[in-house]
Amino acid sequence: MASIVAWFRQRIPLSGVKLRELTNEPVPNHLKTWWWCLGGTPAYLFVVQIITGILLAFYYEPSPQTAYESVRYITEEAAFGWYIRSVHKWAATLMIAAVILHQIRVFFTGAYRKPRELNWMIGCCLLMCTLVIGFTGYSLVYEQLSYWGATVGANIADTVPFVGGFFKQMLLAGETYNERTLPRFFILHAAVLPTVMILLITIHIFFIRLQGVTEFRFGDEPTDQPTHYQFFPDHLMKELIIGLVLMILLSALATALPVTMGPPADPLTTPEVIKPEWFFYATFRWLKMFTGVAAVLSMGFIVFVMFIWPFIDAAVRRFLPRSEFSVWVGILGAAAIIGLTVYEALVVH
Amino acid sequence: MAGGLAASYGTFFAYSGRFLYPARPAERGWMYVAVANDLQVGDALTYRTPAGAGVTVARQGDEGGVGDFIALSSVCPHLGCQVFWEANNDRFFCPCHNGAFDPSGKPKSGPVAEANQSLPEYELRIEDGLLMINVELESLVSVSTRQPRDERTA
Repeated sequence: MASIVAWFRQRIPLSGVKLRELTNEPVPNHLKTWWWCLGGTPAYLFVVQIITGILLAFYYEPSPQTAYESVRYITEEAAFGWYIRSVHKWAATLMIAAVILHQIRVFFTGAYRKPRELNWMIGCCLLMCTLVIGFTGYSLVYEQLSYWGATVGANIADTVPFVGGFFKQMLLAGETYNERTLPRFFILHAAVLPTVMILLITIHIFFIRLQGVTEFRFGDEPTDQPTHYQFFPDHLMKELIIGLVLMILLSALATALPVTMGPPADPLTTPEVIKPEWFFYATFRWLKMFTGVAAVLSMGFIVFVMFIWPFIDAAVRRFLPRSEFSVWVGILGAAAIIGLTVYEALVVH
Repeated sequence: MAGGLAASYGTFFAYSGRFLYPARPAERGWMYVAVANDLQVGDALTYRTPAGAGVTVARQGDEGGVGDFIALSSVCPHLGCQVFWEANNDRFFCPCHNGAFDPSGKPKSGPVAEANQSLPEYELRIEDGLLMINVELESLVSVSTRQPRDERTA
C-alpha cells in the first residue's frame, strides 16, 4: 500500500498541506448567512444539469421526426426517465432563479464596484448564457411552445439592424424553421453553451480568488470576534448542506410536479394562447408593447446598460459621492421586471 | 510567423463559418390554386403551399384580371407566428403578440399596427383561366407523422 502511495506521490507532487493552502482561503463572516450563498447555488445546479443532461442525451434524438417521440419515450417509458427529465427541468428553473437572485444581491450590495467590474461583466454574460440555455432547452422538446418559441426567437434576432438576418440564418439554418434547425439548437444547448459557461465560471471563480470575496460588516456584529473563518471545513460544510437541501428539493419537486408533454409542434398552427417559460414573461410582454425593432433595440440597450453599470455607477458617484442612485435604479428595474412578469402571467393575451 | 498564423487560422475559421451558414435560399415556383371563375366576388379559400404554409386566397373584384384576387400569407410579419381568422371580430389575429389585421391584410392593432406591417402577399397570375400562385417549393419540417385537420386543407 505504502509503495502505491509513494508511486502516486512521485507523479503528483502535491502534499495535503499544500492542497490545504491552495483551497483554504479565509472566508468573510457574512458568508455564514444563507442569503450570501446564492453564488454557489447555481454552480451546484449547473453540475446537476450536466449530469442529467448527459443522461437525457442517451435517448434524445434531435430531428423534427423523432425529437417529440424520444422525449415522450424518456418521460413515459424509460425507467425513471420522468424523474431524470423532471430534475433537469426543475434544476433549470431553480438555476435561473438563483442566478437572477445572485445578480440582484451583487447589484444592491454594490459588489460590482472597483476592482470587480470585469467580474460583474462576466456574471452578466453568465446570466445571458443561462437564459439562452433555458430557451434552447425547451426548444428541444419539439412541442408547440418549442417550435413557436424558436420561431419567435429567431425572428427577434432578425429585427436587429445589419447583423440580424445573419444570426437568424445561422440559428435556423435557413429562412424558416426546417429539418436542420433542431440539431443546431441541440448542439447549442448541449455543447456550445455549456462549454462557454464552464469557461466563464472558471474565470469568474478565478477572479474571486484573485480579488477575494467582497467584505461586508454589519452593525450588530461584535467587534472583538474574528472577521473571517476557514473555507475548509466550515464553509465547505455549509455548501454541502446547500447541496443536500437542493437535491431533496429537486427530488420533491420532480415527484410532486413532474414534467408532462405538451401538444406536439405543428408548424401550421400557432396555439390561440401561447406563452414562453416564466423567465421570458417580461420580454414577451415588452414585445407586445412596442414594435419589433423598437422592442428588440430597447431590450438590447437595457442589457448593455446592465453590462457596463459599474462604470456608469462610478461616474455618478464621482459627482455625487453619497448618492443612492444605483439603489433607486435597481428598485425601478426590479419593479418593472416583476410588474411585467406578473402582468403577463395574469392575462390571456 | 504572424502572417502564417493569421492566414492558416483565418482560413480555418472562414471555412467553418461558411460551413455553418445555410447553403441557399428555398426555390420558388408557380403552383395551381383554382379555376379563376370558380371563385365569385367575396369568396375565399385556404391554399396550402408545398412547404405547408397557409395562404388565404380571396376574390375582391370583378374586373376580369388577376387584380381581382388577393393571396395573403398566414405568417405574421411581426415575429413569424401563424395568424388565424376570427370571424366574430372580422379580423386575422396573431396570438403571439396580439397583432390584428383586417380582411385585406392591413394592420389594425398591436405591434404590427404601430410598425404598419401588413400580412405579406403572394404573387398571383392567371394562365388559361387558371389561378396560379408563386410560392416556396421547399418543405417545412415534416408533418407527415400527424394527420392534418380537415379545416387545414384547401
